[in-house]
Amino acid sequence: MSTYVYGITAASHPALPDGMDGVGAPARPVRILKEGDLAAVVSDAPEGLRPKRKDLLAHQNVLSEVGAEGVVLPMRFGSVAPDDAAVTGVLAERADHYKERLATLDGKVEYNVKAVHDEEAVLHRVMSENAEIRAMTEANRQAGGGSYEQKLQLGEMVVAAVQAREAEDAAEVHSALESVAAAVSVGPESSGWLANISFLVDRDEAEQFLAAVEQVRAAHPHVDLRINGPLPPYSFVEPGPAEPAGTAIGADTGKE
Amino acid sequence: MTVVPAQQGGGGGGSSGLYDVLELILDRGLVIDAFVRVSLVGIEILKIDVRVVVASVDTYLRFAEACNRLDLESGPHKNPGLPDLVGEMTESGARGKSKGALSGAAETISGAFKEAREESRPEPRPRARKSTASRRKEEAE
Repeated sequence: MSTYVYGITAASHPALPDGMDGVGAPARPVRILKEGDLAAVVSDAPEGLRPKRKDLLAHQNVLSEVGAEGVVLPMRFGSVAPDDAAVTGVLAERADHYKERLATLDGKVEYNVKAVHDEEAVLHRVMSENAEIRAMTEANRQAGGGSYEQKLQLGEMVVAAVQAREAEDAAEVHSALESVAAAVSVGPESSGWLANISFLVDRDEAEQFLAAVEQVRAAHPHVDLRINGPLPPYSFVEPGPAEPAGTAIGADTGKE
Repeated sequence: MTVVPAQQGGGGGGSSGLYDVLELILDRGLVIDAFVRVSLVGIEILKIDVRVVVASVDTYLRFAEACNRLDLESGPHKNPGLPDLVGEMTESGARGKSKGALSGAAETISGAFKEAREESRPEPRPRARKSTASRRKEEAE
């Protein structure tokens, strides 16, 4: 029977989620494997596990539960060990590394911030900022909408201006929130948001962080900011910049 | 600790933000080489959900039309006259990035992901979205 692993935490964690519903249908109960000062949060691995909504939620819920009461190193979804002994073996072998990471991340949580433009609002903004676009729009209007070529020309200018705004707004969101976070991890650019950034925030400073988010919102009414957290520190489990799994794929096919 | 999109007041509990944290659950987190990872067919959906503005004939026409309809003097987004900040446009750079994102996209679609996404968005966004396939076709034209 292989073993599904949710995360690694301290054996002294005050509220280990023993018996909680894990992945699989029916849900496999969560178990705790202890090895020295460390504990692995696991369950039996169901046959043919897929990234289904229910299983993704179970993974996230178990980690949220653990993370609410103490620091946890969340595993990436879908990590399966051959058996329980393989899990405790890894804990024993790399104990120093995991203890160092747990100490570093103690008391900290991840907030993920995603941003997109509100289309109408950003068009307003771009037109206000750019006299040439305003003039061309006015000319097209007076010509009953303009010819196909005129529309293309206007649209191309607007798109370029909006894209420039995307880059500027991404940089502004980043720099405004960076100062109230302990660490920053930028998400994959190709995921379709103008900004997709994770911030590691001290639990005690979460209020300041959220206040800073509100300030960014107020200062950028044309930006739709979505914030998720507090989350287990998915993006900060390894020292240094995170390497998202998709990086290699994007790099390969992007060359053309 | 629950996943609450603060903006929406927190209704819906743990599942409401699942789509927004999918790439964290699937792309981040600890990886231990002694363990196997289950095959994640469908993970590519994360890469094709391009919401940033893509340079294409279709987008040009749509934005030109939107500008025609836009009334700068009224509406909820009325902007107080701003100085001309965007003097130089980084057109080529921004466009290259968007195209890279698009062409780098794989096209595998998993029902599970679509479901997660739809359920996590009770209010569909008003903006029109084209499938990657149709956008590609337009770009190729």
